[in-house]
Amino acid sequence: MRRLALALPLLAAGLFPAPGRADVVFVVNSLDPGIQVLDAATREELRQIPVLREPHHLTLSPAKDVLLVGDSGGNEILFLDPSTGEVRKRERISNPYHLEFSPDGKLLVVTGLRRDQVDIYAWDAATMGLELLGRVKPGDMPSHIAYRPDSKFVYVTLQGSRAIAAIDLETRQIAWSLRVGREPAGIIWHNGKLLVGIMGADHVAVVDPEARKLDRTIRVGRGAHALFPMPGGGPIYVTSRVDSRITALDPATLEPVRVYEVPGGPDCLSFDEQGRIWATLRWNRELGMLDPRTGEVTTSPVGRSPHGVLFRHRNLQASHEAPAVPVAR
Amino acid sequence: MFDGMLRLYDSFTSWLFQAAVQPTLYALGMMEWEDDAFAWMDFFVFGVVQVLVVYAVCRPLEAWRPVERWDDRRVVFTDVVYTLLARLGLLPLIAFILLSGVQAQFDGWMADLGWVAPTLETLVPALETRPLLAFALYVVILDFGEYWRHRLQHTIPWWWALHSIHHAQEKMTFWTDDRNHVIDDMIAALWFGGLALLIGVPPGQFPLIVIILRVMESLSHANVRLSFGRIGERLLVSPRFHRLHHGVLSAGEEGRNYAVLFPFWDMLFRTGDFRRDVFPRTGDPEASPALVQGGWWHQQVEGTRRFLAAFRRAG
Repeated sequence: MRRLALALPLLAAGLFPAPGRADVVFVVNSLDPGIQVLDAATREELRQIPVLREPHHLTLSPAKDVLLVGDSGGNEILFLDPSTGEVRKRERISNPYHLEFSPDGKLLVVTGLRRDQVDIYAWDAATMGLELLGRVKPGDMPSHIAYRPDSKFVYVTLQGSRAIAAIDLETRQIAWSLRVGREPAGIIWHNGKLLVGIMGADHVAVVDPEARKLDRTIRVGRGAHALFPMPGGGPIYVTSRVDSRITALDPATLEPVRVYEVPGGPDCLSFDEQGRIWATLRWNRELGMLDPRTGEVTTSPVGRSPHGVLFRHRNLQASHEAPAVPVAR
Repeated sequence: MFDGMLRLYDSFTSWLFQAAVQPTLYALGMMEWEDDAFAWMDFFVFGVVQVLVVYAVCRPLEAWRPVERWDDRRVVFTDVVYTLLARLGLLPLIAFILLSGVQAQFDGWMADLGWVAPTLETLVPALETRPLLAFALYVVILDFGEYWRHRLQHTIPWWWALHSIHHAQEKMTFWTDDRNHVIDDMIAALWFGGLALLIGVPPGQFPLIVIILRVMESLSHANVRLSFGRIGERLLVSPRFHRLHHGVLSAGEEGRNYAVLFPFWDMLFRTGDFRRDVFPRTGDPEASPALVQGGWWHQQVEGTRRFLAAFRRAG
C-alpha cells in the first residue's frame, strides 16, 4: 500500500513510463493471443490487449492515427490508439490475416489466408469505416501484399499456389499471375521491381512486374520470409525463419551485405529512430532487438508465437519516419 | 515455480520445433503448414506429458488403497496399449484439422454472403475481456456435450455395442479410460471437435480443455478406494462416483453416473447415484470372452462384429 501511495504521485509526474509518454513497441502474439504494449526502454509491459483468437499482422492508418490489428481466427479487426494502445473500435471482418493501406490512402486490402480471399475495402478516415468494395479469389493461401506506388495494382503472394497475383484495383480483377517458387511469403515494391521471400527455399525472388517475369534470385537463407526496407533509403532486411537469420541487402544492387544470426525464427521487423531493428522471434516467444552496427541482439520475453511488431516513438508518428542507419560491413 | 516450468516447457518445444519439425516441413516442401504445425506440436508434447502426469497421480493412489488386488495383470496391459494409442491425441487432432478445413470453407462461403460466424465471446461481449471466464464456460459446455454423448452410448444399441468394450474390463484401472473401439473414438472426436468448433473454442485452448477432461477421466477410472466426500462428490467426478457407473449392475441402459467432469449433469437429469460407501465389482456380465480377455486387435474385431449386428437388427 505504501508503495502504491508512493507510485501514484510519481506516475502523475510522468516519472514512470506510461503509454503515450514512452517509446513503445506493439507486439502481436498470435497464439496467446493478444497484443502487448511494451516500454521500449525497459521492455516492461505497459498494456495487454486481449484478442479473440489468432492475431497476426498490424498496420497504421494513412494518417498514422489509428493502428489496425487483424485477428484472422476471430474474424475481427481491432482499431487501436497507437499512442496508448486503447481499443477504439472492433469490427467484424472475414479472416483478416495481412492488411495494408494503399499508398494513396483510399483503400485497405486484406488477405484471408485460410479462406483464399483478398478483400478490397474503401477507407473512411473520419469514421474509421471500412466498406467492402470487392472480393477476389486469386488462388491458394493468399498471404502478404504490396502495392504499386500509384495505387493501381496490389500484388499478393499465394503460398499454396507458389505464385504471386497482380490485382487491378480499378476493375478488382486478377490482371496476371506468375509462379515464383515454393510458398512465397513476404513481398515489397522496390525500385520498379517486386521482391518476394520464398519461404520454401532460401532466396528472394526479384520479379519484373512490367515484363511479368522472374529476373533473378538472391540467396539469403532457408525459409526466406519477409522483407523490410529501412526508412530513408537504408538496407532492405530479409528474415529467414528456418536458418534463423536476418540478411541486409544493398538497396541499389540487392546484394547481401551482412548476415545477422538471430535465434528463434525472426519474422516481422520494425525500426526505431536509432536505426535499431525490433524483431518478433516466432518460436522462442521473444522480442529481439538487433543493433545492425554491432550485430548485437538482445531479447525479452513476450507471448507465444509473436508475429506483427511496431515501434512507435513518443514524438515521431511512427517507426516509418526513422532515419536510415547504414550497415557496417 | 510455475513460471520456471513454463519456461522449461517453452525451451523444449522451441528446440523441438527448430531442430526437427521445421526442417522436416522445409525438406518436404510443406512450409505453408509451418504456423499450424507449431501450434499443434503442443498437442503431441502434451500427450506425452498427460501420460506421465496421469501415471504420477494415479499409480501411487492405486498402490495406496486399491479396491481390488490381482495377481494376473495381463488384461491391464491391453488398456495400456489403448492409452498410448489414444493419448497421443491422433484422433481428436485429425477430427479437428478436418473439421477446421470444412469450417474454413463453410465460413468463407457464408462470408461471401455477408455473414461471419460468431463465437461465444461475440455472443456475450463481456467475455471478450475475461478469457479465463470464457475458458471456464467452454469447459462447462463441452462437459455437458460429453454427458449426453456418454448417455447416448448406453441408450442406442449400435453405440452400446461399441461402448461395451469399455465396460467389459473387470480389472479397471486408470488405463481403462482409453479402452474404446476406434469407431467409438472417431465418433467421440467428431462430437467433441464439432461442438468445440460450433461454439468457437479457440484452437489454442482446445488441447488444454482436452487435457483437463482426460486427466479427470483417468483418475475417475483408477482402482482406488477414494471418495471426494459429501460435497466434493457433487462438485467433481471421483473414482467412487465413476466406479458405480462401471459396476456390473450399471451396464447398458441401466447406466448411472454418466458425467465426465461435473456430476451436476447427473443431478440435473436424475441419473446420479451418490452412495459413497459402495465400490462394486466392474464389468459387463453379457460381454463375450473376447471383449474381456482379448488383446487390442481381438477386441476391435469383436466390437466391429457386434456393431454391425446391432446395425442390422436396427435396420
